[in-house]
Amino acid sequence: MTTPMTQSSPKAKVTTPADREIHIERIFNAPRDRVWAAMTDPALVAQWWGRGNKLVIERMEVVRGGHWRFVEHSPDGVHGFEGRFREVTPPERLVMTFEWDGMPGYVAVDHTTLEDLGDGRTKVVTTSLFHTTEERDGMLSSGMEEGLNQSYAALDALLARMAA
Amino acid sequence: MVQYYRQLDSAFAALADPTRRGILERLGRGDASISDLAARFDMTLTGMKKHVRTLEDARLVTTEKVGRVRQVRLGPHRLEQEAAWIEKYREMLESRYDRLGEFLERTKEAP
Repeated sequence: MTTPMTQSSPKAKVTTPADREIHIERIFNAPRDRVWAAMTDPALVAQWWGRGNKLVIERMEVVRGGHWRFVEHSPDGVHGFEGRFREVTPPERLVMTFEWDGMPGYVAVDHTTLEDLGDGRTKVVTTSLFHTTEERDGMLSSGMEEGLNQSYAALDALLARMAA
Repeated sequence: MVQYYRQLDSAFAALADPTRRGILERLGRGDASISDLAARFDMTLTGMKKHVRTLEDARLVTTEKVGRVRQVRLGPHRLEQEAAWIEKYREMLESRYDRLGEFLERTKEAP
């Protein structure tokens, strides 16, 4: 398991508890509502998500089951990313799936929590779990995930469209 | 980043075709025979063999004859790609949060 990170740090603390899991913690010098808005308001997301590259937000429905699709125009090409929101609990928790067009059949599920540190700062913890579609479908059908039927149908439709 | 995509270049030609992307997606759910794949994608055996050969050349799949059936599964390149993708994802996430931190500083309201 991961070691909890308690002290303030301007850089991300990264641990890799398992080969298929990424864990990042970061403290932002901004109140939780502002961090939440920056992560969920498309007009604000467009200003940082592309890491300095042009970003086109084709879709961003920040509700459970909502679809998002971003296209990043980087110097080495155009890259599409998309997924579904699985949980949206303002201003503290966001769960979404993430797929890159160049890696069909692999899905990352990002769990992000925003913790109000009470001093105008916010701790953001993101855990990303990587699955093949086979594993993800197994996980969904065994009932481990909330809203599984809805997500299953949505992801299946998404994959069918990608494969079409 | 440039280096990463260069590393994937050989696979990109194979991935350019939507049917071949669909085949990989299908194999992500489990191994399949060429005839399974042909039926799933509504195409002739000959046509499917051609696609599988292209994926095999890019090391995205491997095939093995089991009895009279040729089984197709995800290949070594695919697994290397997966590891590279997870590492790449971590870098992207970190770099995104760098930008988010800068954005929050930049847009801070005056006290």
